[in-house]
Amino acid sequence: MNSFEFFAPTSVDEALDLIVSKGEDAKIVAGGTGLVNMMKQRLVNPEALISLGAVRGLDGLEISDGKVRIGALCNHQALVKSAEVGQMLPLLAETYSKVATVRIRNFATVGGGLVHGDPNQDPQVSLLALNADVSLRSKSGTRTLPLKDFMVDYYETAIRPDELLIDALVPVLPNNAGYAYLKFLPRTADDYATVSAAAVTVLEDGVLKDVRVAFGSAAPTARRCQETERMLTGQRPTPEALRAAAEKAKDLADPVSDGRGSAAYKKEMVGVFVRRALEKALERAGGAVNGR
Amino acid sequence: MSTTVIGTRAPRVEGVEKVTGAALYSADVLLPGMVWGKSLRSPYPYARIKRLNTSKARALPGVLAVITGSDIRNVLVGRRLRDQHILAADVVRFMGERVAAVAAEDKDVADAALELIEVEYEELEPLLDPLKAMDADAPLLHPDLRSYKGLPPTLPEHLRNVHAYSRIERGDLAAGFASADEIVEGTYSTAMVHQAYIEPHAAAVSVDAEGRVHVWAAQKQPFGLREMLAEALDLPLEMVVYEYSRVGGEFGGKGALMDVPLCYYLSKACGRPVRMVMTYTEEFLAANPRHPSYVQLKTGVKRDGTITAHEVKIIFDSGAYGAFKPVPGVDLGGARKAGGAYRVPASSIESFIVYTNHVPGGFMRAPGDPQVLFALESHVDEIAHKLGMDPLEFRRKNILRQGDANATGEVWADLRAREVLDAAIASSNYGQPKPRPHIGRGMAITNRHIGGGDSQALLRIDAGGRVTVVTGTPDAGQGSHTIQRQIVADVLTIPETQVDVVARGTDEAVYDGGIGGGKTTHVTGRAIMMAAEQAVAELRGWAAELRGWPEDGVVLEHGLFSSPGEAGEPVSLQLAAAEAVRRKCAPLEFHTTYSKGKVEQECFGAQVAEVEVDPETGQITVLQMTTAHDSGKLINPMAAEGQVEGGVVQGLGFALMEEMILEDGKVANPNFGEYKIPTIADIPPLREAWVEDAPGPLPYGGRNVSEHSLIITGGAIGNAVRDAVGVRITSTPVTAEKVFAALQAKRQASA
Repeated sequence: MNSFEFFAPTSVDEALDLIVSKGEDAKIVAGGTGLVNMMKQRLVNPEALISLGAVRGLDGLEISDGKVRIGALCNHQALVKSAEVGQMLPLLAETYSKVATVRIRNFATVGGGLVHGDPNQDPQVSLLALNADVSLRSKSGTRTLPLKDFMVDYYETAIRPDELLIDALVPVLPNNAGYAYLKFLPRTADDYATVSAAAVTVLEDGVLKDVRVAFGSAAPTARRCQETERMLTGQRPTPEALRAAAEKAKDLADPVSDGRGSAAYKKEMVGVFVRRALEKALERAGGAVNGR
Repeated sequence: MSTTVIGTRAPRVEGVEKVTGAALYSADVLLPGMVWGKSLRSPYPYARIKRLNTSKARALPGVLAVITGSDIRNVLVGRRLRDQHILAADVVRFMGERVAAVAAEDKDVADAALELIEVEYEELEPLLDPLKAMDADAPLLHPDLRSYKGLPPTLPEHLRNVHAYSRIERGDLAAGFASADEIVEGTYSTAMVHQAYIEPHAAAVSVDAEGRVHVWAAQKQPFGLREMLAEALDLPLEMVVYEYSRVGGEFGGKGALMDVPLCYYLSKACGRPVRMVMTYTEEFLAANPRHPSYVQLKTGVKRDGTITAHEVKIIFDSGAYGAFKPVPGVDLGGARKAGGAYRVPASSIESFIVYTNHVPGGFMRAPGDPQVLFALESHVDEIAHKLGMDPLEFRRKNILRQGDANATGEVWADLRAREVLDAAIASSNYGQPKPRPHIGRGMAITNRHIGGGDSQALLRIDAGGRVTVVTGTPDAGQGSHTIQRQIVADVLTIPETQVDVVARGTDEAVYDGGIGGGKTTHVTGRAIMMAAEQAVAELRGWAAELRGWPEDGVVLEHGLFSSPGEAGEPVSLQLAAAEAVRRKCAPLEFHTTYSKGKVEQECFGAQVAEVEVDPETGQITVLQMTTAHDSGKLINPMAAEGQVEGGVVQGLGFALMEEMILEDGKVANPNFGEYKIPTIADIPPLREAWVEDAPGPLPYGGRNVSEHSLIITGGAIGNAVRDAVGVRITSTPVTAEKVFAALQAKRQASA
């Protein structure tokens, strides 16, 4: 690792000043679980690190207006353990519990994970299905973006060089919603997903009133499957309908081959796991798939 | 003899210091003035070094020395075959080969200096396929092979890029095939895998005022390292001192010199002690992983399952050098096992170890065996399927019985092959009804020698009666020091907590051949047992003299000498020892030697894997692993379980997930983020079955349990997958994707 200057601002304003004054030679570090690894491998060699560790007020969880506001510095394990999240957004608790190991979850922050932009991460997939927004602050103000617009490409997001990610806003699910996050780990429990899928379903009178589906690890960013959703919305969830809609999700897959599987295999698995996520969500919504 | 200590689950003697972090390893050695060494490694698998300029690196503040291949051009090293330069001289033969090294005040300066070294390479077309490397028109990677020291003299002249060859022939092969009803053929391959010990290679070297070279490095054979190093550096043996270093896991991979000579040359160049610690990326790029293999098998069988002929050709990809293989043939063990634990009347087994431009392979736990046994035991199941026989029935028909010779003509005493197979089956769910579809069970069996060798023991008893074993071999994690302590405690009839086993360097310890090859409990254990027995014999005499007893009648129980029917208080070992030390004016020391060549018995291991396969994804979930061993009497059941279960876990890695992915000569996944090994969450329930009626040469009459559990896991898993979903995966790792692809092909074929 190369040597670097280290700054530890204690407020968001101070941090924003430093980000502007240090410019592109600086990197912002929160939990450090992504960046420090890249620095050790010399993939990134910043002149300065601006640590958010001492910034107060960014690690809270707040519920208002039917939304959960998750502070950027909230660590993964805090979400896993939060009773409120477990009750109002059980999909999120389930998803964050599947990230890496408890040692990493105790350090990795929600905001850091989102800004890192790694398409193999778990949380983005479920946050997409939950219609999450992110808010970004610069010295000139705060803007809010839907997560789907925030994610741009491999390790690339819409954050501007002078901005900090402040929090994520996640609408609470209705009580009758079913949900599921599936992480396909064919090698070992300690791995990134070969593919992953999240689903949210709301059934009314046996008909899918609301259905949201996303997958991860199989494209430059996590992807929301709108065509799949369109095919199922207002329909009865028959095995045939689910299979056909899940197959459609494969059109959005654009994976790369790596040690977790070839591109062709991952694409096939997107179809399987999108369907299985829908099935599990429906089961939890109290409506096992008809015909099963 | 008391049996209160033997057969108990005595806790690990070095466990506390390891789990608390108190144990210091080679990378922790810090000497006054010590500096860091780092290597610059080749970015190409095969290239000529055209120009090398170190001036900018030398000019960097904090840099103390920079050396290149031209500084040590004439030194070739190797555990047996000396075919590797310490620093590449003119040609680099694998990506990761060292081309220069620096010594600097700290690690960051050393890293920065490496970036300032300018190297101009002329890339050459690499040889990456060992089969093609043997072609008549393939270029020679080592044109000077015939001049290398340690080359097997029997190596046939006509072979290209081959540095080790063996051929075992027995019986009339042609007649065997001619009399067969069916001939079954198969080709299998296995991936390159890493030992994945926690501690990467580390070395420290300091040259003292007398010119003696002190070495700290995790090493399975400390005395062997001293000899290799003295020879490589052209120093008298007594000028090299191996300082005892703990081993943070080795699995066969810590027997080479690795960075030790480089530390020495850097130390000479800068006049300071030098330490080098490989990063784990360097471990993957340039340590000594398990050789990938290609195995072709052809077997003739009668309709009733009788094997009539068996032909095997094994090709191991050696990578760029043969330097990491220690045995006289520079060979791997697999060929000897290629006929399995079966009666084979006629056989031909050929083994080639071929140079390529890959990472040089080395020894890893049962070198050569997991590769060959994955192929053989998969093939055996395919033969059974072809004949419509249950794989168990086929094995029981052909398994070696007392007096039978195996494929290579070996005959063993006290054979327990059938008992071991039956024990594994009986302890597993094999043959039981399956609770769900897509569950499969598969088995594999192997034989392996009980290691012999030479060991010396030194046992001291001081005036206070404290008993100390001084050993020259480390405990690499298998629990050998714990077992040695139990043996001494048992012979002396005292609690094991009254015995110390201390490991020392070559200046203090007596010679020992080191660990490895399934021999430590046998050879070192026997030497130590003899020393303890000598101690009892001598102390009995002192006790008798103290009390005026006739020596013949003196017995030892619970650490007390007494003479039934004679007057006088019992004499404790401590009292006898104090008397001896006082009267002799010298500490009590017992120095013994134990040597054993080939052991008459052979040791067997059998395993049953139970898996569930998801037919939609190919994912394999291991439900249970059962392993049986003809262990004989277990000295420490907990240590035996640990050894066997550790092997199963390592075997599961080999079977299911481990692979150093080689792309154009490059290791594409040189870190544990991408090279996956099993974690605790991946481990299924593990069962062991011990065949204790199995005489052997170990203290208390048992056999080793060192390696079998790892050798057969690949075959057992492959066979279980075949049983679950009907597809045969012919290469390791047996991944979900391979199963998925095979299932798709099968569906298409039947559509």
